Amino acid sequence: MTTIFFATDIHGSDICWSKFLNAGKFYGADQLVLGGDMTGKAVIPFIHEGGQNYRVTLLEQVFNITNEEELTDLKKRVRSRGYYPYMTSPDEIAELEKDPDKVSKIFLQEVLKVVQQWMDLADKKLEGTGMKVFCSPGNDDMDEVDDIIRSSKHVLLVEGKVSSLDGHEMIASGWSNITPWATHREEDEDQLAVRYEAMISQLKDPRNSIFNIHVPPFKSGLDEAPELDKDLRPVLAGNSMIPVGSKALRTAIEKVQPLVTLHGHIHEGRGSVRIGKTLCINPGSMYEQGTLLGAIVSLGKNKIENYVLTTG
Amino acid sequence: MSNLFVRKATGMVRSWSVFDAFVYAFFSINIVTLGFYSFSQMYFFGGGMINALIVSAVFLIFEIIVYASLISVMPRSGGDYVWMTRIFGGGVGFILAITGWWFTLWLWTPVYGDMFRQVVMVPILGVFGLKDAAVWFAGAGTPLFVSTLIALGFVALVIMLGMKTYARIQKYSFYAGMLGLLIVIVLLFTGNHDKFKAGYEANATALFGAQAGAYDATVQAGTDAGASTPLTGGTLKLVFLTLPWLVFFNLWPNWGATLYGEVRGATDYKRNFSGMAYALGAVTVLGIVFFLGVAKTIGWDFYVQSNGAWWNSVWYGAAVPLPVWPYPALLAVFLTSNRLIQIVVVLLMSCWWFGWAGTLFLSSTRVIFAAAFDRLLPEKVAELNKNGTPVNAMLLMVVPALLVSYLYAYNVAGFYSITLAATQGIAIMYFGTAISAIVLPYTKKELFEASPIAQMKVFGIPLITISGVIFAGFLGFLLVEWLFDPWLNTGGEGAGLYGISFKNTNSIIFLVTCYALSAAIYYGFKSYRKRGGIDMDKVQTEIPVE
Repeated sequence: MTTIFFATDIHGSDICWSKFLNAGKFYGADQLVLGGDMTGKAVIPFIHEGGQNYRVTLLEQVFNITNEEELTDLKKRVRSRGYYPYMTSPDEIAELEKDPDKVSKIFLQEVLKVVQQWMDLADKKLEGTGMKVFCSPGNDDMDEVDDIIRSSKHVLLVEGKVSSLDGHEMIASGWSNITPWATHREEDEDQLAVRYEAMISQLKDPRNSIFNIHVPPFKSGLDEAPELDKDLRPVLAGNSMIPVGSKALRTAIEKVQPLVTLHGHIHEGRGSVRIGKTLCINPGSMYEQGTLLGAIVSLGKNKIENYVLTTG
Repeated sequence: MSNLFVRKATGMVRSWSVFDAFVYAFFSINIVTLGFYSFSQMYFFGGGMINALIVSAVFLIFEIIVYASLISVMPRSGGDYVWMTRIFGGGVGFILAITGWWFTLWLWTPVYGDMFRQVVMVPILGVFGLKDAAVWFAGAGTPLFVSTLIALGFVALVIMLGMKTYARIQKYSFYAGMLGLLIVIVLLFTGNHDKFKAGYEANATALFGAQAGAYDATVQAGTDAGASTPLTGGTLKLVFLTLPWLVFFNLWPNWGATLYGEVRGATDYKRNFSGMAYALGAVTVLGIVFFLGVAKTIGWDFYVQSNGAWWNSVWYGAAVPLPVWPYPALLAVFLTSNRLIQIVVVLLMSCWWFGWAGTLFLSSTRVIFAAAFDRLLPEKVAELNKNGTPVNAMLLMVVPALLVSYLYAYNVAGFYSITLAATQGIAIMYFGTAISAIVLPYTKKELFEASPIAQMKVFGIPLITISGVIFAGFLGFLLVEWLFDPWLNTGGEGAGLYGISFKNTNSIIFLVTCYALSAAIYYGFKSYRKRGGIDMDKVQTEIPVE
């Protein structure tokens, strides 16, 4: 029997990454699988106002920092939400407002810096444990992230590959169907179908396999997201939920009937559901609160011995 | 946070419309279904209704702060169940939330059925000239059970249609219902008492077969029933004593509070707060306007007497001159002899029920799913059929609800007397949530400090803690009043004011059964999963960071 721990959509949260690396030992899992979207969504400028003074706006609340201790504390708070603290000056802020392209460069620089720190931490913590992290960046993750992951000893980049998890084959992809945000790794359903087929065709024992696909299958209940208007505003106060998952993936699952499929992408979509005999899981995400949502799945030959969603 | 420093990424939605949130909260404290229904039952109190509305709204503002705050700190987390579970541990959260959001809703089912017939069936059949059918539907026993079955059918249909469709039905119902209510208010403020008295006599006979002299007979029956609730005034104590009944109507502004997408800041808290607070304010003002309109044309005393006459007949079997519930919209259309206007108003007003009732099992479905995902219920209960309908979860709500509805409709062993226990079960859960709000900034310091409400403090004390204390205090008052009612209010004898005290065996049995059942499920499944190798305590425990 193989026990895996799966988590996803940790979006830059240091706390969630540390918890993820500790989860194998904590839950008694053999291997760790990280779904996509490991990078954060916002940079928080720490604007230097002379001496030890900084002005920081976090979640629309203004913090006036006056000493080193407060600075360290607030940086930690910012990182705990998955945001990136950026030390800057009023002049640079004025310059960035005139040239938003420069902000993108800062974003990339901060994202890659943190991903490198994470890989270093993983190599340190997982050394000697026999555990690996099987990682496939998601649609929100920039392409540049891949090279940093490749350099890690214990974190394996498995996008587009068939990997072996102690005897169970696993295919993995962080690509999603088209979203309203035009993110880094998204494509239409036909292309997704080709992407999936390329991996499925390499499986020796498809019914005993794992699909680690970031986007959930269409109309699975794991893909329910608030309906948005053309301005990306939730309609009817978020009470109108619609399925946004991948139709190509659903077709693939219905056809192949793998043992288990692992998903993320829709943070509100926490749950598990069966499509035919296949168990589909989306543990959801609460990365902003530093809570690591996950799933423990124990796999036997051609069957799932046990599974549970976790809140760590 | 400046948008300049936020990148385009999945889920980065813009803030939802406060108006949409307002509509949802406005329907949750539905003035026509919950409001008119509970106002009418409150005919025997000493505190003024307007005073009580205002005092309750003041306390409920703190409920709104508590919920808006918790949603901002822990959005998308599943509400009361997750908040309490994370702060108190699994058992307490599960038992309180399962009872509050699932089992208690079984008891709400016949209440929804009762409101369905009073707000929809009886008035519509009446104005369409189907006198006998209207009077039959207003009767006890089978008519109530049949009405509940129809109401359950509608609720099941909503679950099958999905929230996308129902959310639209709600919005249309809001506009139609508001138009109907506006006409009712105009009728009340433009009419006069003599005209009403003549209209009452004529329509009570023509539409519902009442004997001649129905007005005077209603006054007498109401007086005999002890109708006494004033429009205004009463001592503070008497006003407070009305609150444990009044909250049946307005304890729910948080019912549908949601927060989707990424939290971008304190503005999101304010939007959530505003949606609920505007709804509470608007409903309170509407209630006051309605009462003043009633006092002007129907006459306050007659309004209370007609209510007393009706409920004295339902609860204690007394004779009632008007053989249907004195639905205020119906009384208002008695001011006109134009049948078309009567039909239009009654149809428009029925939208208040259709726009509201579909959410009866909405929270129950979410809690059942959350418990199944936590492996505290069998996986099967969260299954969807090919059309995406959660058939098994629906059955877990509908089948017990049918049993409870039967007991209620046929008043088996006095079951009808425990109506307020439907509010009590949820209030107990809210109490748990309020306590979790109080301690959150201290027990989850890092979570609180990195939240959009970290700076909301009064004299250095977090606003969520202060609001939690006030809301928990208010709920504590309600719970004590409900439980010790006869001792506190009638010298230890009789039924007291609310009828669900420890002296009401049915009420106690219902609550104890619900809590025992949820405890049995929790500890039973925990033990079962442990034997299967899953430690439920561990899967809810925070993983060490270092």
